[in-house]
Amino acid sequence: MTILDELLSAEEFRGLSPAEFFYRNREIAGFSNPVRALYQTVRELVENSLDATELYRILPDIHVRISYVSREKNIVKVSVRDNGIGIPLKEVPNVFGKVFYGSKYKLRQSRGVFGLGIKMAVLYAQMTTGSPVLVRTASPKSKNVHEFQILIDITRNEPIVVSYKTMNNTRGWHGTHVELTLEGNWSSARSRIVEYIKRTALIAPYASISFEGPGIELSFPRATKKIPVPPSVGKPHPRGVDIELLKQLIAYVNSSNQAVTLEDFLVKVFDGVGRKTARSFLKWAGYGPAISIDELSIEQLDDLARKMKGYGKWRRPRPLSLSPLGEELLVKGVRKILKPEFVTAITRKPSSYGGYPFVVEVAIAWGGDIPSVDRPLLLRFANKIPLLYDEGVDVSRKVIDGIDWSVYKIKFPAPLAIITHLCSTKIPFKGVGKEAIADVPEVERELEIALRETARRLKRHISRIERQYEVKLRYITINKYIGEIARALSVITGKESKVFEKKLSEIVEQKVLKGGGRGNESL
Amino acid sequence: MSLSDKEIIKRLEALAAKVAAQVMRGRPPYIEIPVRSFSNTIWDEKRKILRLGPAKARREFLDSKEVKKFMQTLLMLSLIVTARREGDYPTIRDLYYMGKHTITYRDINGRPRKEETWNEQRESNSIIEDIEVAVGILREDMGIMHDAKGKMVGNVIIRSKGHIIDCSKMGIGAYAIPPNPDRLEIIKVEADYVLVIEKDAIFERLNQEEFWKRENCVLITGKGQPDRATRRMVRRLWEEFGLPIYVLTDADPYGWYIYSVYRSGSISLSYESEKLACPEVRFIGVAASDIEAYKIPKNYVIIATDRDLKRANEMMKYPWFQSEAWQHELKLFLKRKEKVEIEALSGHGFKFLSNVYIPEKIEKRLWII
Repeated sequence: MTILDELLSAEEFRGLSPAEFFYRNREIAGFSNPVRALYQTVRELVENSLDATELYRILPDIHVRISYVSREKNIVKVSVRDNGIGIPLKEVPNVFGKVFYGSKYKLRQSRGVFGLGIKMAVLYAQMTTGSPVLVRTASPKSKNVHEFQILIDITRNEPIVVSYKTMNNTRGWHGTHVELTLEGNWSSARSRIVEYIKRTALIAPYASISFEGPGIELSFPRATKKIPVPPSVGKPHPRGVDIELLKQLIAYVNSSNQAVTLEDFLVKVFDGVGRKTARSFLKWAGYGPAISIDELSIEQLDDLARKMKGYGKWRRPRPLSLSPLGEELLVKGVRKILKPEFVTAITRKPSSYGGYPFVVEVAIAWGGDIPSVDRPLLLRFANKIPLLYDEGVDVSRKVIDGIDWSVYKIKFPAPLAIITHLCSTKIPFKGVGKEAIADVPEVERELEIALRETARRLKRHISRIERQYEVKLRYITINKYIGEIARALSVITGKESKVFEKKLSEIVEQKVLKGGGRGNESL
Repeated sequence: MSLSDKEIIKRLEALAAKVAAQVMRGRPPYIEIPVRSFSNTIWDEKRKILRLGPAKARREFLDSKEVKKFMQTLLMLSLIVTARREGDYPTIRDLYYMGKHTITYRDINGRPRKEETWNEQRESNSIIEDIEVAVGILREDMGIMHDAKGKMVGNVIIRSKGHIIDCSKMGIGAYAIPPNPDRLEIIKVEADYVLVIEKDAIFERLNQEEFWKRENCVLITGKGQPDRATRRMVRRLWEEFGLPIYVLTDADPYGWYIYSVYRSGSISLSYESEKLACPEVRFIGVAASDIEAYKIPKNYVIIATDRDLKRANEMMKYPWFQSEAWQHELKLFLKRKEKVEIEALSGHGFKFLSNVYIPEKIEKRLWII
């Protein structure tokens, strides 16, 4: 069973409030201990901030601050401020205080799925310190800034607004500022959090991110003003359905309309399904096109979902709902954070697995500030989220380890870093930790193609560097003898040594440096 | 046939002038030097000497593997020209020190580095040989000296710088052959033959016994691998006085190769064979076949090393070892894998060598060529 299945069944059959369920199973969302919890809280807040800015084409300005409330008790305050679109006044209590409430339950690529994480952070803070979440928010052009303090009523899954006030938005600010006080182990989480911030700055080079924690201050100014096109809201692909999604989609369609036929339902709701495709499928599946969707029994829905998954003639999913970074931005991000001598990136054409569109992006960085390592340094991202844990079981690691790097003139230890980014409406995570991507053959294949192409480009670069090195070495080897040669010629011919020196230097420069790259012999 | 200093300077200068002209025209300069290696050695069957072949190599300034030698060649050329202009007679060791400079430069990582123009005398010696072949003048004629090591004793009278030297009146010593024997005048030779001995110790013993007086011969040693002066002296005695030359060496490939150097010239100096080789030199021993023929006692027999065997195998292929007799000796050596020193003949008594072995070999014409 997936988490979703569990949740749904919890809600429906046991009458357990989702908030209660999360509260009892917090490790699922990554809040298992004060180290992970602090890291996870920072992540949730930063990712919400990025979504609140870049999805609306606002260049993100994000400030993250962690400070001790009580060092002895491991109580810390985390605050994150952005310049995003803010949260509508009415929505604030539910966004922070009601599990399963959110704007993200749509089929488009965004960082968090369901927007559950922020509620978990609120719940965790409430549970460990009893403190409410502080939210300050203003929409663009809003005259006021609203400030809330919210707790969650766990058994009823309802927000409790502890306090509310409003201030004049004199500076014309817009965005959201969230503060949480929680039990968190800063000293142990420190390196992960720093790494997370760095990698986030890499994958969002258009963002300006600053970070301040006990004993550390980091600042990553934006490297570009270009933001990738935000993903449009996509329709689900017929191959990606299961019975639950089907039920939800039917409920959605029914609420707005009267009786809808199966054919209309397919055409209207799914990606890439026209009349013709819908009819061919229904004929193949053994359903009449005019059946009303209301009439379908649970057994029929189950059968329909299975057949939609198995049908081989759907059109490929359209990738409009994806927002890869693009080669140019990826290169800028890598340059900004890793400061390599060479970097190249590839954004592959969209592909799909099991009805879900995906795009693979790969960058290879070499030399410069990258330390020499015994195997490629790997920086993984999924939907612009850095993946820091479970690298060993990730598909990227598998593909990288399967490549014979000596073919590309790379001998380890080498200053080599590889950045992989998978964008999809559904990332095929391995397990509940959401830190490793499973080895789906389609994804694996795309990764390998992209990796090999970037590696080929790196090889060309290395060859060029080697040639330049050889030319320089040859130049030095020859040049150092000019003095002796000129002096000897001067002794024998009686002409001035300087004249020979000048001429010989000219010959070396002309034939070795300028004509460089040709073989070792002259003429 | 000695060249005048003026002519020598002119030829040396011409070599440098060619390079200077290339440089001034902005062309990458090079020096053309005949190749001194086995591949460019020609065996002159008729004259029985090793000669230098026609192959020439360009030593190019822009070739990173050759540029150091290019520099060294011009450096050495400038030293020799200067010596000739000033009438100096430097030794090859003098030239090594005079040309040994420290070059400072920065390596590819910008670190300061030092490099010597040459690190050992072998390098500068090799450059001198290059210049000899490039200009076609032997170093002795260019006024370059070396530590001569050859010795001679016998009824030979020489004039040197106006002094008369009688090589039969050296007491317990011997006449030291000077670096350039061509500057000596050999006035009179009263001897039946010349015996060239590989080893100084044996030479000393025979001189002690006054073997040369008894046998009426001239004794010469080059103390191992002979220098050019020793070879030149042997050649003059053969050429100018028609004396037969006999060579006595250890019974091993190194000894036999020394014989062939007297006879045909050496691979590394094949360009000078014309003046140094003695094609009619006779090898009287010690031969591989002598070990059995003279019943050399077992305790004197040494087992050949792998290096000995390898050397013998190479020598089997040299054109100047193709005679039936030599092929037989080398094959025997490779089969038996045994070698002996000249001293092994003392197994039959200390006087066996001088009283029996040498006279018998010459009398019974038991030499090989």
